[in-house]
Amino acid sequence: MKLKTTLAMVPVLIVMAACGGGAPAPTDGGAVRVVATTNIVGDLVRTIGGPNVEVEALMGPGIDPHLYKASAGDVRRMSSAEAIFYSGVHLEGKMSEVLERMGERGMRTVAVAECVPEENLIESTGFSGLHDPHVWFDVALWSQTVGCVVETMADLDPDHADAYRERAAAYVDELVALDGWVRERVEDLAPEQRVLVTAHDAFGYFGRAYGFEVRGLLGVSTASEAGTSDVQNLAGFIVEHEIPAIFVETSVPPRYVQALQEAVRARGFGVEIGGSLYSDALGNPGTPAGTYAGTVRANVETIVTALAEPADAD
Amino acid sequence: MNERQDWALEVEDLTVAYADKPVLWDIDLQVPEGVKMAIIGPNGAGKSTLVKAAMGLVKPVAGEVRIFGRSRERAEGQIAYVPQRATLSWDFPTDVIDVVTMGTYGRVGWFRRCGSAEKEEAMAALEQVGMTDFARRPIAALSGGQQQRVLLARALVQDAPIYILDEPFQGVDAPTERAIIEVLDELADIGKTIIVVHHDLQTITEYFNAVLLLNVRAIDSGLVEEVFTEENLRLTFGGRVGVLAASGAGGL
Amino acid sequence: MDLFGDYTLRLVALGSAVLGATSGALGSFAYLRRQSLLGDAVSHAALPGIVLAFMLTGSKAPLVLMLGAGLAGWIGTLAVQVVVRRSRVPYDSALGIVLAVFFGVGLVLLTHIQKLPNAAQAGLESFLFGQAASLLRRDVVTMAVLGAAALVILLLLWKEFKVLSFDPDFAAGLGLPVRRLDGVLTLLLVVAIIIGLQTVGVVLMSAMIVAPGAAARQWSRRLAPMVAMAAAIGIFSGVTGSIFSSYLPRLPTGPTIVLVLSAIFVISLFMAPHRGLLWRSLRFGVLRTAPDLDPVLMHLYALSHQHPDDPEHGHSVAVIRTMSPPEAKVDAALERLADRGLAQRTAVGGWAPTPIGRREAQRILDREAGEGS
Repeated sequence: MKLKTTLAMVPVLIVMAACGGGAPAPTDGGAVRVVATTNIVGDLVRTIGGPNVEVEALMGPGIDPHLYKASAGDVRRMSSAEAIFYSGVHLEGKMSEVLERMGERGMRTVAVAECVPEENLIESTGFSGLHDPHVWFDVALWSQTVGCVVETMADLDPDHADAYRERAAAYVDELVALDGWVRERVEDLAPEQRVLVTAHDAFGYFGRAYGFEVRGLLGVSTASEAGTSDVQNLAGFIVEHEIPAIFVETSVPPRYVQALQEAVRARGFGVEIGGSLYSDALGNPGTPAGTYAGTVRANVETIVTALAEPADAD
Repeated sequence: MNERQDWALEVEDLTVAYADKPVLWDIDLQVPEGVKMAIIGPNGAGKSTLVKAAMGLVKPVAGEVRIFGRSRERAEGQIAYVPQRATLSWDFPTDVIDVVTMGTYGRVGWFRRCGSAEKEEAMAALEQVGMTDFARRPIAALSGGQQQRVLLARALVQDAPIYILDEPFQGVDAPTERAIIEVLDELADIGKTIIVVHHDLQTITEYFNAVLLLNVRAIDSGLVEEVFTEENLRLTFGGRVGVLAASGAGGL
Repeated sequence: MDLFGDYTLRLVALGSAVLGATSGALGSFAYLRRQSLLGDAVSHAALPGIVLAFMLTGSKAPLVLMLGAGLAGWIGTLAVQVVVRRSRVPYDSALGIVLAVFFGVGLVLLTHIQKLPNAAQAGLESFLFGQAASLLRRDVVTMAVLGAAALVILLLLWKEFKVLSFDPDFAAGLGLPVRRLDGVLTLLLVVAIIIGLQTVGVVLMSAMIVAPGAAARQWSRRLAPMVAMAAAIGIFSGVTGSIFSSYLPRLPTGPTIVLVLSAIFVISLFMAPHRGLLWRSLRFGVLRTAPDLDPVLMHLYALSHQHPDDPEHGHSVAVIRTMSPPEAKVDAALERLADRGLAQRTAVGGWAPTPIGRREAQRILDREAGEGS
């Protein structure tokens, strides 16, 4: 019957539409084509690769890498690339199988965060044997990932190896300077003001490097669910320490933090939402926050500005 | 001569099909007010389907049903229907008086609750069928005959001009059968039209004054003494089921 | 911390109570009309509606998403009807098809939108299993308003829905607009489902629809008490689940509510008077006749009917043997009936049923009459 075939066609059409979008661009003469998962990794590779590399990031601004599932189009893009750069340490939680399969097929896969020596990683409290993957907010630590990337690029494209190494060295210098700037900027906050409450536990490394106590409502991965006790406990914590501002994140639904704010308000304390932080993704390309360095600056400005003002308790 | 009297129920050219197979074919039937008519035929003859079409529960492929001269859609509430017992879920959480009171819902109107007046009418109907002691009994605890009486009481409460009963004597004990027939006789005496899908040929002449012999086509219909003949029975029950049975459906 | 002093707990408990009341009440009707699977189908069919609502409007406001969910769920029920009417596919298969197709489309759409910037902000994935801890005050207000409206309509149309559920053909004869009433009742069910999606999610919502009514049925004999009890069970599960999840960290509220509800259902199945399994085995354990004893008891009873004025009149074992199939162990059966007080020896060496035995035989007859046809 016509109706039944139409019904059956709907899912087929949708799958085709999803695959059809994003046809691979024709190869430029010479540029190495690679795929990155998050746009944070993408920015890293692009900076080092320069004009010699064409980077396609699977996840754009505001996308949550913990929940992201690779589509058929993504798999195709990864298969036809020369290397796949991903963050690793289980950040791309739902893509681990796909990445494994790529590795088995002989694709070159590089987990940049795993370049950092393991003793420098923070152990995850919830899951023993696993680590917190959000390494990029410790700028000094992030600069340690440059090594892996440049080695891979030099390997793939020996003709431009020198150019890569030059760019990498320059970038490390830039990151060192950025790290210094952050340390200075956070001095504007007294030690007891340095408490960062966000939607999920993405800022552990930031806290460790720059002296903040960090609390997230959800755990290290947004795939976990917050229970009402988590909201209650965190709300109590905020009231106790009179924290003036809490933060939403661009890649996590703001309602968690809004619910937290309502809970705090109900306890008679007026906490503000201090702004939106880029936690697991960079900002929109073309804006200042579209690069890694820009994002770090934007985040730090938001944090310091919001926390510097004393709270109005009512 | 051919002006339309108001038959209680009139069926014209009615054809009903399921998945391209005819279940009722070109049925013409006129039922005058006040008769007690039986519908008989073998299994698969379309007896229940005819009843459902009269109720507007199935859509015919062709033909019309009229109730007191008005088309089916505008004849709401004119038929008190006693369905086959087996089609109901007797596990439903309710008691006897509650089921009987359902017969008043058409009259009570939207958004209003049934009051003591309706409860009294329901008790009166239960008395007519001899079930007053069972008023508070959950329907799951009723025997077959008791169930049938409750359904009849529900129809009585509705106080409609036409009663249609589908196999009311199927699987009931003799006292219940007698009780039901007495009620039907009383109803006919006060001018109600009774139509019964019936399975027991032995009791036709005793219980009914009109009959429709049905086997996908209307074989014949009319007064029992004229139409309930050997010949017609053979045409209805012997021979093949289907549209090739003899023609002829007369009016009364 | 006192039990309801905490704001978050109050909010979540209230939202869960609204969910429990509406899904319990309306789910009871679905249960009685044998449409429990329809609740499952509608919940799953709601998923593409939620995603499409976000894709078309860019809004993450719960009301918008819920409207999308409701619309998709509603279309799902229409799709089921069309499939059933226009093809030979039976009703339950049609439900399964619609459920799977719609849910599959929903999952595909979810994967598709993750490419859109800021789609993660909408938190659409949380609709799969619910995210009760992120309920805001305005969400609970929306739920309460919708829930109250649905319950008011249910009360106004109570008797119509009752007769529709019990005997739709008779209802048609009364002149009630059966198709339209069915549509309204289905719509109320859809509303009950979308109220719950934020709290327990698409996948678990069907439990909230089915279980309260099924549990309440075990305890009640009439419709009003059943529906009221189902609503009460729903409320209790919602509130208790919220309390548990607020005391134990990382315990998701939605699944906890469903677990509490399931426990109540299992308890009802066993413990309810008259219908409960425990009750039945206790009651009949004392008087229970094993299947092979029943026929002999019935023969005794039938024979005793021939002497209504002389209940002690016995009949010989031989007579009973002729009434029974050749392999029946009549003597042993009679002894065991005597042990249980259902039969007795009479003066001249015959057998007769005791008064208890007669009552038991009549009860078996009544039950068989009720269960048959």
